Amino acid sequence: MPRLLGDDFLVPSLTPHNKPYFTAGSIQIQFCKDCGHAQHPPDDLCYACQGKNLEFRAMVGSGRVESAVVVHHSVHPALKTKVPYAVAVISVDGAPGCNVMGNVVGCAPEAVKIGDRVRAFFDEVKSPQNGETLKIPNWERAAS
Amino acid sequence: MHGKAVVVGVGETTYYKHGQSPDTEFQLACSAIQRAADDAGLPISEIDGLISYMDQRNSPLRVAAALGMKELRWSSTPWAGGGNNSAACVMEADAAVTSGYANYVVAFRALAQGQFYRLGSGYGIAAGMAPEGLSWGAPYGLMTPAQECALHTKRWMHDHGVSQEALASIALASYANAQRNPRAVRHGQPLTREAYHASRWIVEPFHLFDCCQENDGAAALIITTPERARDLKGKAVPIVAAAQGLGPDIGANAFQQKWFPGMYYENVGRMIWERGGIKPKDVDVLQLYENFTGPVVMALCEMGYCKPEEVDAFVANGALEGPDARLPFNTSGGNLAEAYIHGLEMTIEAVRQARGDSTCQVKDVNYSLAVGGPGYAPGSAILFGAAL
Repeated sequence: MPRLLGDDFLVPSLTPHNKPYFTAGSIQIQFCKDCGHAQHPPDDLCYACQGKNLEFRAMVGSGRVESAVVVHHSVHPALKTKVPYAVAVISVDGAPGCNVMGNVVGCAPEAVKIGDRVRAFFDEVKSPQNGETLKIPNWERAAS
Repeated sequence: MHGKAVVVGVGETTYYKHGQSPDTEFQLACSAIQRAADDAGLPISEIDGLISYMDQRNSPLRVAAALGMKELRWSSTPWAGGGNNSAACVMEADAAVTSGYANYVVAFRALAQGQFYRLGSGYGIAAGMAPEGLSWGAPYGLMTPAQECALHTKRWMHDHGVSQEALASIALASYANAQRNPRAVRHGQPLTREAYHASRWIVEPFHLFDCCQENDGAAALIITTPERARDLKGKAVPIVAAAQGLGPDIGANAFQQKWFPGMYYENVGRMIWERGGIKPKDVDVLQLYENFTGPVVMALCEMGYCKPEEVDAFVANGALEGPDARLPFNTSGGNLAEAYIHGLEMTIEAVRQARGDSTCQVKDVNYSLAVGGPGYAPGSAILFGAAL
């Protein structure tokens, strides 16, 4: 489906840290192969054991809304016709301690509640950086 | 009491609505420093240290050259965040003068949001690409401090049953106190609870009046030792204690379960009470940086003023308004209603209270506390004692 805020709205500039999350077509979380710690956002070192043996793993793509707010004031020219919209903090099933950010789409923004179960989907857009295909995760409510 | 360093001069420019300063940001910075030196009675050439914070664009070398400083023995900036460092910058100045590495150190902040981008405008992102740090939120339109703090506040209010009225009471207190302060940008524009609730949403649960202003202006403080201050005309205010805390790095880190929801002031509170040898109830007047009202009520609780379940009652019925309030609070009008000079104008108000010079002066001030911006780490706080 088209991105909530427009296909040409800000896309991630890709780095080794965020490329898996925004291109894999699954919710990618960084894990430590030595101690099993999950962390987000990804970094160069395991925050639990300081190991460097890190890998990305695909999660099942479900989660829970930990907080959600309705944005009314547009702070970017491209958003003037997009407000109001909901932004949420979502805990990722299978990744203890890890929350990601996103929109919850497919319902009125004020309908999104703390505790809602959500499921990821992926918007495919071409990066203006190098034409690479991005698969930007976003969220919709799931049956609980 | 620590008291080995003192604030001996404070200086401010006129505070303007954003974009309305006739002076450039650099001119504002230099004016505030000149006024602080005048207040102290210190020849500006004697200043030998410069400290600022966040994206301060006025480098210490440029300032030192323009103001004719003879030496620059100390230049530094507390890392990370933004207004969270409005107390830490004075803490660094304390370290500089008590160590003997510098004699007269300036902590300053200048903002000309007309000349440069507005802090509330999505971190100045205009192009189509979000750099890594912003990439976790910006593609979803999560790109401002208001939105970030709203997500924390919403969850915290949900968990503890805190009402919108608690947020309103913070805004009303700042606005009420600003009506006593002719320097305040919102002087002459009182706020009622009805007008608060009727104002438009920025991002729920923040109305327009829950959000700090964006302003042009500059503020500066001069820190030295009590011995040096004795030879100056400026009324010296001792630094009793200062603290800087721990928290997550900005961006997605701040939303991880270890830190969410939170404002990173539990550790700052613990240190400031321990170092000052006092408890929250001993503070005679409090300046607590309002980026947004929600973070203020959260930080009040984290610092030990009350439990989250008690905060509605704690701030209700004008408990924070005026010089005779139960807890005199943001007595100049703060970031919401005086001016948003990234909180340094509130650190100056804390000094003014210790000197007895406020437009909303509290009686018999022994302890005057300034707390930096909540929600962005590291948090900081600085406790002043009565003027020497």
